[in-house]
Amino acid sequence: MTFDFVEPVVFALLSIGVIAGGVAVVMLNRITAAALLMAFTFLCMAGMFVLLGAETIAAFQVLIYVGAITVLILYGVMFTKFSDGPRALFFQRQTPLAAVFVAAVAIPVAIIALSFTSAPPRPGGGDLIALATSVFTDFAFPFEIASVLLLAAMVGAIVLTKRDDPDEAALRRRR
Amino acid sequence: MTVPLGAYVVVSAALFFIGCAGVLVRRNAVVILMCVELMLNAANLALVAFSRKYGSIDERGSVFVIFVFVIAAAEVAVGLGIILSAYRNRPVVNVDEIHQMRG
Repeated sequence: MTFDFVEPVVFALLSIGVIAGGVAVVMLNRITAAALLMAFTFLCMAGMFVLLGAETIAAFQVLIYVGAITVLILYGVMFTKFSDGPRALFFQRQTPLAAVFVAAVAIPVAIIALSFTSAPPRPGGGDLIALATSVFTDFAFPFEIASVLLLAAMVGAIVLTKRDDPDEAALRRRR
Repeated sequence: MTVPLGAYVVVSAALFFIGCAGVLVRRNAVVILMCVELMLNAANLALVAFSRKYGSIDERGSVFVIFVFVIAAAEVAVGLGIILSAYRNRPVVNVDEIHQMRG
């Protein structure tokens, strides 16, 4: 007895989770629920990475997206008062035009995507060694640039959100 | 029977356009940030799928995914910083009402 049917079934469940989570993020009015459903979408995406055999990427996905980015966004939700005006109107007013546009984009994408033929599957054993070899040989320079970018983002976030000392601010205003 | 590459690309395209629609339709700055994250993640799925199904030499597609992770983390940190500092000036997160810098 083989278990060949497991992979398509798991893929179908994960893709339903990804699509439903994405639609819920866009549609839901409760912003905390939207943030948690975004985490769910990222988790389903990590499952897809595992299905593709990219276990290291899946681990990074869980650590960075499900862990760090979701928590950061939840803090953003916490610090801002919820206000969402009415949705932008152009989709409601121009539904036929939007439908034509969607069809014009989606049908070629689906046709091109379904015309790919996969290469023969590669031997298993994870992707960590190949990934690390690439990062630290061919992509060593972009790797260093990425670390500089992270440092710049960290400094920028601190500078943007630093609150001035009230006494100092009052002094500056008096001057 | 394995899942074809096209199926992954279709899911990736669908999620990308869902995120794109969210950026265009929603007015809350934090939700717009979440939708941008969805779009980045959709691109990640396409990169990993092509890398695993086509890349016979090494994992170059997956390396790009790691760089996308870095960009996404930096983007969320700076984006939330901008949202919070704008919110401190005037307590709104509706992007239609934040127009101090409009030319």
